[in-house]
Amino acid sequence: MAETAILYDASKCTACKGCQIACKQWNQLPAPLTAEEYEFTKSYQGPLDLDPDTWLLMTFSEVSMDIGVEWNFMRHACFHCTDAACEMACPVGAISHKDNGAVVIDQDKCIGCQYCVNNCPFSIPRAKVIGGTDYAKSFKCWQCFDRTSADKDPACVTACPTDALEYGDRAEMVAKAKARVDTLKEQGFDKAEIYGENEVGGMHTIIVAHRGLEAHGLIRDPKVPVATSLLDLAKPLSAVGVGVVVGALGFSFAMGSKYKRGEHSYDEKTDTWTIGEVE
Amino acid sequence: MTNHWIDLKNCDVIMVNGSNCAENHPISMKWITEAKLMGGKLVVVDPRFTRTAAVADLYAPLRSGTDIAFYGGLFNYIMENNLQHDEYVKAYTTASWLVTPDYAFSDGLFSGYDTATAKYAADKATWAYQIESEEQWDTTETGKMAWVNGAGTPAFTTPTIKTPKKDATLQDPNCVWQLMKAHYSRYTPELVSSITGMPLDRLLEVYELYASTGEPGKAGSILYAMGQTQHTYGSQNVRAMAMTQLLLGNMGVAGGGVNALRGESNVQGSTDMAMLFHIIPGYMSSPTSVKHPKLADYLSTETPAGSYWTNKPKFLISLLKELYGDYATVDNDYAYDMLPKYDGSNHSHIAMFEKMYNGEMEGLFCWGQNPAQAGPNCGMERKALEKLKWMVAIDLWETETSIFWSEKANATPADIQTEVFLLPAACHYEKQGEIANSGRWIQWRYKAVEPREDQKDDLEICTELVLKLQDLYKAEGGANPEQITELTWDYLDDAGHADITKVARALNGYTVADNSLVKNFTLLAADGSTACGNWIYSGYWNNNDSNEPADQPTGSRNDVDEPGEGLTEPIGSYLGWSFAWPVNRRVIYNRASADPSGKPWNENKILVKWDGTKWLRNDVPDFGFQVVDADGVATPTPPNSTAFIMVPEGAGRFFAPGMADGPFPEHYEPFEAPVENQMSSTQVNPAITIYPTAEETRGTADEYPIVMTTFRLTEHWQSGVLTRNLPWLVQTMPKMFVELSRELAEEKDIVSGDNVVIENKRGAITAYAMVTDRVKPFTVSGKTVHQIGTPWHWGYAGTCSVGGSANELSPNVGDANTMIPESKAFLVNIRKQEV
Repeated sequence: MAETAILYDASKCTACKGCQIACKQWNQLPAPLTAEEYEFTKSYQGPLDLDPDTWLLMTFSEVSMDIGVEWNFMRHACFHCTDAACEMACPVGAISHKDNGAVVIDQDKCIGCQYCVNNCPFSIPRAKVIGGTDYAKSFKCWQCFDRTSADKDPACVTACPTDALEYGDRAEMVAKAKARVDTLKEQGFDKAEIYGENEVGGMHTIIVAHRGLEAHGLIRDPKVPVATSLLDLAKPLSAVGVGVVVGALGFSFAMGSKYKRGEHSYDEKTDTWTIGEVE
Repeated sequence: MTNHWIDLKNCDVIMVNGSNCAENHPISMKWITEAKLMGGKLVVVDPRFTRTAAVADLYAPLRSGTDIAFYGGLFNYIMENNLQHDEYVKAYTTASWLVTPDYAFSDGLFSGYDTATAKYAADKATWAYQIESEEQWDTTETGKMAWVNGAGTPAFTTPTIKTPKKDATLQDPNCVWQLMKAHYSRYTPELVSSITGMPLDRLLEVYELYASTGEPGKAGSILYAMGQTQHTYGSQNVRAMAMTQLLLGNMGVAGGGVNALRGESNVQGSTDMAMLFHIIPGYMSSPTSVKHPKLADYLSTETPAGSYWTNKPKFLISLLKELYGDYATVDNDYAYDMLPKYDGSNHSHIAMFEKMYNGEMEGLFCWGQNPAQAGPNCGMERKALEKLKWMVAIDLWETETSIFWSEKANATPADIQTEVFLLPAACHYEKQGEIANSGRWIQWRYKAVEPREDQKDDLEICTELVLKLQDLYKAEGGANPEQITELTWDYLDDAGHADITKVARALNGYTVADNSLVKNFTLLAADGSTACGNWIYSGYWNNNDSNEPADQPTGSRNDVDEPGEGLTEPIGSYLGWSFAWPVNRRVIYNRASADPSGKPWNENKILVKWDGTKWLRNDVPDFGFQVVDADGVATPTPPNSTAFIMVPEGAGRFFAPGMADGPFPEHYEPFEAPVENQMSSTQVNPAITIYPTAEETRGTADEYPIVMTTFRLTEHWQSGVLTRNLPWLVQTMPKMFVELSRELAEEKDIVSGDNVVIENKRGAITAYAMVTDRVKPFTVSGKTVHQIGTPWHWGYAGTCSVGGSANELSPNVGDANTMIPESKAFLVNIRKQEV
């Protein structure tokens, strides 16, 4: 199977959240049933962050202008990295790459250590306790591998009314994104750039960020934590026992090299949105 | 829409004004994005910075309720700078027509205003055209109107054709062009900026960009929704858009038009079917006891001298034949007496609730409607519901209306005597039928699943009701029993249940003698030989060989966009996909897409083209393009200058004598406004009706200085009855909120997340504060005016999300022509809720 990718073109996106709902629907992810369980998010972003039952979240950030604002949207979901920190950190091989590049968690194998949660540079996987276990397993976007392996587009892509989302051969998506960035630059979007072509070994989500990475809340030049790479190296040894890996993870904490995204927040006083920083 | 969704890709400039299409019509953005990819520009004029504004090339903020000032300034800009599409204006509009010298306008009032009745003179004598000559319809045996004397056709007085005086040079001071120029010369950019609060340079930027579509061959489209209509001058806003498009030659062209984005998937269908008090199916006036007690009165007063509407008697008699079948004969005026006639006064939503409030109504069916939450001044409307003896709510869920009597509504059930029924309805996947979209496409859809338990589809509920009523009248008699007992209701299957395909046949029309479906409405007759439930739908179900929806035009699904014969490039018409009324036409008035000689203004975007011998067509022509003789031989009709066949003038109207509040749109402030009218001393539209309940709760700027507007979100739907019960959607937008500017928040010591009380004389609600730069204060005649906005989706019913209803605050006052409520600009005050 050739490598594939989702192309998200933020310049065509109207943040209708059709993709977010389609993800919930196809993957049958629940939302709370009573009004008391919901909080006001102070924004059009809802919920405020990814959670084990929300694998795709449209994010909103505002930059004030003389007239109006720049309202920047982003499709926040797993990027399906080639150098996937989650996969490297997983001590039991529950996370793997499919041939098309999708990074998939096998919940049957997941032991609930949450190393993936703590090592992902983008804070994508989230854990929750599921039936029949007493520990929290990890969840995230799996690029609708059930659909793509049956020759269908991921659910989010099918819902997009503006073709801001496309799915196809990765090289083709990269080429499209590059051409689009060129066009946007000609139209005056000086900061337009592509994301995902080379980051963390190349992602399987390619993004056109017409106002630049920072404006859309994307981390420039993300790195797999050094210690996470060590975990990957340590894997062959893990046949001996997960203790070694746990030791290596302790090492990663000690090194302070662990990546973690803070929560998105809004400061009324300075009126600034803070897209979760890398800690 | 005069055009349709796919056609948006053909636009050079799209001006979204009073619509938030990215949020409320997400699919529109598919085609707008396509237009943008081909170099088209998107302009958004809106009081709030919306998700549509987020993808716009140009955003211009405008204080709610000042659209006419904005358009008046645009007319002035275009005319002063000579940017109009000159040839189009001269050939296809009423610019050269002369108006009576008695016409006058002074200090916000047009001539003919009667201060005692607060209305303009009904005869509109001072708004009339000067007449050059008069002639009668040719009803001789060989004449065009010979059908008038046909056997079986009821007698009526045929109208007089009046040919107006014109001045082709447009110099006569009484010609429409000069009157319009004089009227709008008062709307200088500086004054318009001061009224609207739109910064002057941004105003001029928008004018320049949109006026660029006046260049022949360029197309501009205006998209609007409730932001334009829900005002006391909403109809004049729509007039202003039509005038803009005529000035710039954008009517009838691909990528042009005045495009109403319908706020509900089938609201186009519901107006087509006349779910309004003032019309009967097919946009014909409802008969009144004042103007048309008898059939001859109706036909004599309602049949215009010119336009395609000269065929109205054929449409009316065919409708009567469908309603009353064999009972309707020429001898009993085709049962015209059976049609209910109203007294000529207003019976729209606001007027009806006023009557209800005064105890003049006994019962009410709320069929998929939720006035207790969605009606203007809905607290007052709930009080009105208490006066009813009975009320039936028909919906998918419990609604605010169905529990208006409960503690949840802050009511005391023991005090309310209204007997309330809630009938569970089937949802759209649980029934088959058709939906008419904004582009007038009537698309059939099949049932996906059976309704659960005792849910029923609407037609079945209606059928049971009608059959029961017929039984009761047959058994017990009553006043005018024939009105009910003789009514055709044979839309039943073998088991006696409703059969919607039979309704479809009736809507299409058929010849009475052999029950054979007519091809389209051109074959309808006024002599009782044809029956048709709704002439504009005629042709959508005309296949006599099958009763399967998929075999009918409404069910056709050819997704290939094919060019017309002799043309090389298709234009997005998709004539093989569903059926658009009328006669599958996709762009109304498409004759105007070509010059008087038939040469398209834009050879790359052809709708119709005269090639010297015949018309080439990418769309169904909106004009007589050929004459077919009895043997079926077609003779092409060479081009002429009549581009607007549905208006009596045959030409695009800059001057509209039929309006209740003036032939030209004039700026007035809303019913409740933060400032005085800078255009005249006439503060509010002088022709509106203000009921006592509205006047009693009217607020002033001293007490309530903040302008409030209401809006919708992608995440929720109308009154929220569906969406606030769906957790997935609630999660994406969980709580009722109010958008306010940072400046106002500072003034009121409010931060995002605070609970805020919003109040006026009609009520008070709480909402979470969302402090944002997407809303900014306006500078209006030098003073700061704050505006806030809230969605109107919330209420007290529902499972996953409840909250304050914005319509507790909106006034029950409406437009002078239509009575649509003024929900988009009214006054409130806000404060932080003390904890």
